[in-house]
Amino acid sequence: MNEEYEVSFRKYYDNQLLPDLKILDKQRIKVGRRVAMIGLLTAIVILLEAKFIPLQKNEWMWFIQLGTAIIGFVIISIVSKGYRKSFKEKIISKIVLYFDESLTYQPEGAISKSDFLDSNIFQHRCDVYKGEDYVQGKIGKTAIEFSEVKAQYRQTSSSGSGSKSNYVTYFKGLFFIADFNKHFSTRTVVLPDFSEKTFGKIGQKFQSLNFTRGKLIKLENPEFEKEFVVYGDDQVEARYILSPSFMERILNFKRKWNSKVYLSFHNSKVYVAIWMKNNLFETRLFKSILEYSFIKKNAQYIWLLIGIVNDLNLNTRIWSKQ
Amino acid sequence: MIIIIAIAVVLVLIIIGIYNSLIRKKNDAENAFASIDAMLKKRYDLIPNLVSTVKEYMKHESSILYEITQMRTKAIEGGLSGDDRVNLDNKISKQMAGIMVAVENYPDLKANQNFLQLQASWNEIEEQISAARRTFNAAITAYNNAVETFPSNLIANSMGYKRKQLFEIPETERQNMNAKDLFNS
Repeated sequence: MNEEYEVSFRKYYDNQLLPDLKILDKQRIKVGRRVAMIGLLTAIVILLEAKFIPLQKNEWMWFIQLGTAIIGFVIISIVSKGYRKSFKEKIISKIVLYFDESLTYQPEGAISKSDFLDSNIFQHRCDVYKGEDYVQGKIGKTAIEFSEVKAQYRQTSSSGSGSKSNYVTYFKGLFFIADFNKHFSTRTVVLPDFSEKTFGKIGQKFQSLNFTRGKLIKLENPEFEKEFVVYGDDQVEARYILSPSFMERILNFKRKWNSKVYLSFHNSKVYVAIWMKNNLFETRLFKSILEYSFIKKNAQYIWLLIGIVNDLNLNTRIWSKQ
Repeated sequence: MIIIIAIAVVLVLIIIGIYNSLIRKKNDAENAFASIDAMLKKRYDLIPNLVSTVKEYMKHESSILYEITQMRTKAIEGGLSGDDRVNLDNKISKQMAGIMVAVENYPDLKANQNFLQLQASWNEIEEQISAARRTFNAAITAYNNAVETFPSNLIANSMGYKRKQLFEIPETERQNMNAKDLFNS
């Protein structure tokens, strides 16, 4: 956040958030005690199992212990659910409102799976799709929505007698959709560049052999070309979207997040996917939530996400699309 | 013997590949030039509308407006050499940019809904033209690289392919003219 925001957010924190936070923190202590108790009990039960259950086959032991641990976790998550939920409903939703009154926040909502697939950023089959922390609204003239998203596909590997299947996460992070400020009819995707960065010119040759995407669009900004690879259905329209100044904006945007960033332009919208390791907008249990830095960190992410509108200059409506 | 035949076959295949890719690159470049043309035509269609809307308000600029109309007529008539056309287009761009700045002096015009719409279309088409030019340059660069680098230059020479000129993109366009700054300053 910049300084101007920082000062006014601090005020907002003191006046609007702190009263609720104090009530919630009391709840946190209560829930925390219960959770610690359940954790301790589960650990004791697991130890007792090892000692007292007589088994012929010792291999079964880990199975029983694992089951106990899972039951422990389930109970913990049930016990703390109300607390986690009210943190989102009372605090996160207020932080969202602080940035713009038009925004609405749904803790359990998400970007729809069809929108996620429509972006065509990832070409894997999507077997598991989950999301939370959905925000929707309008910043200036630009309609936006974003949420956390996790997408997985199932991988089956057959080895000898049986086949094993596991789920591979191909995207976890923030997914952002905004109305784009220019008209266009074709599809363009901007992806992090792996092959050119690693293999140089030869890598670029491989990029042009990618048949599942559109044509390779080679752009004149060398720095941009190093970071990203662009595919599109139409050479001219892709460049119409990716004007020289817009490429700079995307580069700066990428530096700001310092993570893998994907963009797609389709249906007159821009889709942005940002890889995130952590689960955002969650509360914590064993440390006070009254700390300003903790709340600020949550606000920072929302500020950054809403800032995409400015980063990509989406409110500039000098073209025929209003 | 078999080895020699195999090498010869591979060589022939490589030569065919290079030959085809040269032709493809030349066609891409021509195609890209055609797309600039299509964009320019779109702009020519827009000029009469813009001029007639603006004319009612802008008394001082009537000579420039007349000049723009003349240039447009000349441009659609055709029969100009490549360089002449480029020059003419650049002139039209420059004059129109001047008109767009002069709009500042006419508050009534700035509030005219019809004009605002035309202005937005104008910005759009300018940026599309710029995109088409950049596409053209990318296609020409790919072509030039093929004509000048080894080994495709050997085949290009025998086909009589020569290096082609890039489009000079005017400085204003390279900065990606931000019309908002232009008008709201």
